[in-house]
Amino acid sequence: MNATLYFRRKLWNGMFLFLSVLAAGFGLIWLGFILGALVYNGFEAVSPKLFLEMTPPPGEDGGLANAIFGSVMMSVMAVIAGTPLGLFAGTYLAEYGRYTRLAFFVRFVNDILLSAPSIVTGLFIYELVVYNVPGSFAQKICTTILGSACFMGHFSAVAGALSLMVIVIPVVVRTTENMLLLVPNGLREAAAALGAPQSSVIRAVTWRAARAGIVTGVLLAIARISGETAPLLFTALNNQFWSRDLSQPMSSLPVVIFQFAMSPYEDWHRLAWAGALLITATVLTLSIIARVLQPKRSH
Amino acid sequence: MDAKTPASVAGTNIKVDIRDLSFYYGGTKALKNVSLPLYDRQVTAFIGPSGCGKSTLLRILNRIYELYPNQRAEGEVVLDGENILGSRLDTNLLRSRVGMVFQKPTPFPMTIYDNVAFGIRLYERMPRSELDGRIESALQRAALWTEVKDKLKESGLSLSGGQQQRLCIARTVATRPEVILLDEPCSALDPISTAKIEELIDELSAEYTIVIVTHNMQQASRTSDHTAFMYLGELVEFGPTEKIFTAPDKKQTEQYITGRFG
Amino acid sequence: MADIALAEQMSSVPERAAAVRKGGARDARFRLLTLSAAVLVLAIFAGVMLSLLLGAMPAIKQFGWSFLYSEAWNPVTEKFGALASIYGTLVTSVLAMFVAVPVGIGIAIFLTEICPRPLRRPIGIAIELLAGIPSIIYGIWGLFIFAPWFQANVQTWIVDTLADVPYLQDIFGGPPYGIGVFTASLILSIMVLPFISAVTRDVFETVPPVLKEAAYGLGCTTWEVMWRVVLPFARSGVVGGAMLALGRALGETMAVTFVIGNAHHIQKSIFAPGTTISATIANEFTEAVGDLYLSSLIEMGLILFFITFIVLASAQLMLQALERRAGGAK
Repeated sequence: MNATLYFRRKLWNGMFLFLSVLAAGFGLIWLGFILGALVYNGFEAVSPKLFLEMTPPPGEDGGLANAIFGSVMMSVMAVIAGTPLGLFAGTYLAEYGRYTRLAFFVRFVNDILLSAPSIVTGLFIYELVVYNVPGSFAQKICTTILGSACFMGHFSAVAGALSLMVIVIPVVVRTTENMLLLVPNGLREAAAALGAPQSSVIRAVTWRAARAGIVTGVLLAIARISGETAPLLFTALNNQFWSRDLSQPMSSLPVVIFQFAMSPYEDWHRLAWAGALLITATVLTLSIIARVLQPKRSH
Repeated sequence: MDAKTPASVAGTNIKVDIRDLSFYYGGTKALKNVSLPLYDRQVTAFIGPSGCGKSTLLRILNRIYELYPNQRAEGEVVLDGENILGSRLDTNLLRSRVGMVFQKPTPFPMTIYDNVAFGIRLYERMPRSELDGRIESALQRAALWTEVKDKLKESGLSLSGGQQQRLCIARTVATRPEVILLDEPCSALDPISTAKIEELIDELSAEYTIVIVTHNMQQASRTSDHTAFMYLGELVEFGPTEKIFTAPDKKQTEQYITGRFG
Repeated sequence: MADIALAEQMSSVPERAAAVRKGGARDARFRLLTLSAAVLVLAIFAGVMLSLLLGAMPAIKQFGWSFLYSEAWNPVTEKFGALASIYGTLVTSVLAMFVAVPVGIGIAIFLTEICPRPLRRPIGIAIELLAGIPSIIYGIWGLFIFAPWFQANVQTWIVDTLADVPYLQDIFGGPPYGIGVFTASLILSIMVLPFISAVTRDVFETVPPVLKEAAYGLGCTTWEVMWRVVLPFARSGVVGGAMLALGRALGETMAVTFVIGNAHHIQKSIFAPGTTISATIANEFTEAVGDLYLSSLIEMGLILFFITFIVLASAQLMLQALERRAGGAK
């Protein structure tokens, strides 16, 4: 055996493995850096005031109550509307249409929507619900399909919720389909062999067997929309005051953070950090819960 | 247990008549013009080496193959005078009359009570007390009642393998089918559970027409009245079990029985 | 046992047929429900494309192809061109890939081969948490923490060191703002690398263990097994995963908006400020007065959607090809 060749191979091996360890370290360092900065800067502004007072004009004291409410409100609406749609679509892909061409296209399109820029889907809802860019052709089509419900003419919480819903649906579709595909066929056969029609097989047996995974998908969808800013910028806009009117602009944490951080005011920066900490804590908690619930990945 | 005596064979009616049945996976012909009768309230066993088509044949009898694309059957399977392969037949209705127990125990992710009630609830509405009675009798028929009567609210998945399989049997008999298909029901179980289930088959045969697929020849000779020996998609020989196992007509049958191949 | 059987009546076939027929209608309705939901997904996609196209029409009619190669951006004279934004989008994403792909694959190799078993799950989860952090957090962290640190500690040093190197002084030159194209790319790469790591890990797990055993059995070192056997086998999957990550990087808004500087110019130095499509839209949308302005922003959205669509679609096809091969190999 050639000793120098062997030695050189060992050297390469050691070097690249060392680089891999460095890579992992690189990733972990940034994670620590970011979380550390978040806690350090955000923590000082965390107090009950944060949850009780409105967003203030610069120079005054305040909190993030309306922003928190707005975020929760719109996220809840988006999830309540989007989850059943995603669940049913995912069920079609896994159970009824598994081998059909339609399912192939839906899957393809869904996965693109999943990774598509959220700013673009926000523009879609903007044009659908908020304001129709004058071009007679566009207006004609929209009013033909949706009638006068087409555009409200102004920003609103409903529009914000819709833009979040468009993000929720692909996530739920994908996880639902994956989880349903994991359910062993034996279970479906056993239910069918008793004479159960397919909808009963799905509802009583297959859904139940995939329950944990589907819930995980919903949690992940919530985590995903918690931090979405861009689509809300042109649908719900922002609102300095407390508002429960769904047809009016509504404040939300990410948009407030955007506005405050880009400004030159110190106290606004503080509030932005606090909001960032809140969002991150929510997202990380949801992700961890989803992990704990998740059935083992099988390959 | 000795092989069943042939005394009950003479004069029994045919419950299911299989006539010239062929089956295709895509372009491959997996079953070749099989014809045989299944006698009412008797146990018929399908035996043969792996890949001979016995499970395929069984799965035609309740049309469970239709869950998958690219599979089709040609020929006739006549249940009480009606061809179940006809396109007008409602498959769900068929499956309420022809039940199936699978190789791998498949308890549903629900309580033991709900597992057994599942099939009943598909077809019948009844007051709770009546349902309780039906469930008890189904579990008794599956020789599981004494073991689970105090834990009906527990998950079906909490039972042992043998118990789960008996739960599946209880679930199947609860819908009061006329025919019960058993696809290698004991191959995933230990010898003690296997013995219990074979006893069960003997008892159930008093009320139901039973078809059992098994790769265990001794099991076939123990439990069945009639045996069909299959090889490479064809029915080689069919007859009373005692005859097949002691004095078969075909040489191939004899070779398989004596373990020369398979 | 026999007396139980005799005492009970089997429910008649006609009774059962009635029950089955009732269930049949409900069954059909359920199926229709799921089918409609699936079609809705297609409708959303079509809606997105259509709305972008229609909204961009005024700008398309006004500027035509020049929109794609004009650097002009003047809301007052209403002359718009997307070149600076497109350039920024492409450059930041590609630079981010240069960092994220090797690091992401390195992390995947670390987690699959080197990491001691008990640490595998926690470290894996930690890396995935990086992916879960919303992009606006990256944005403000970048603006308030990273950019100043980078400017003070790294950027000034690089600019001074390369000040007299002829070619590099232009690429890495100019005043050290802290924010700029380079900073945005770096932050983008940190955002994207956990995604590459996760996809690569999944892809590694589709490699049949026998393949690796055969290589080890011949005496290969770990690195050789990964480089010569695993990566080639999983190549299309890794590339597909990288392209998926690229697709996401192209569309990233908040992480980039805060630190890119928002200058509608293309400059030689990557330390200079610039802009991306999504950053422009996010920054200027609410102030856009006039239909042409708005329409130009929407046209940029259309261009972005078009670019990401191509990247994501190719990624999908590659990943599907790998899945089919892995399925065949089983």
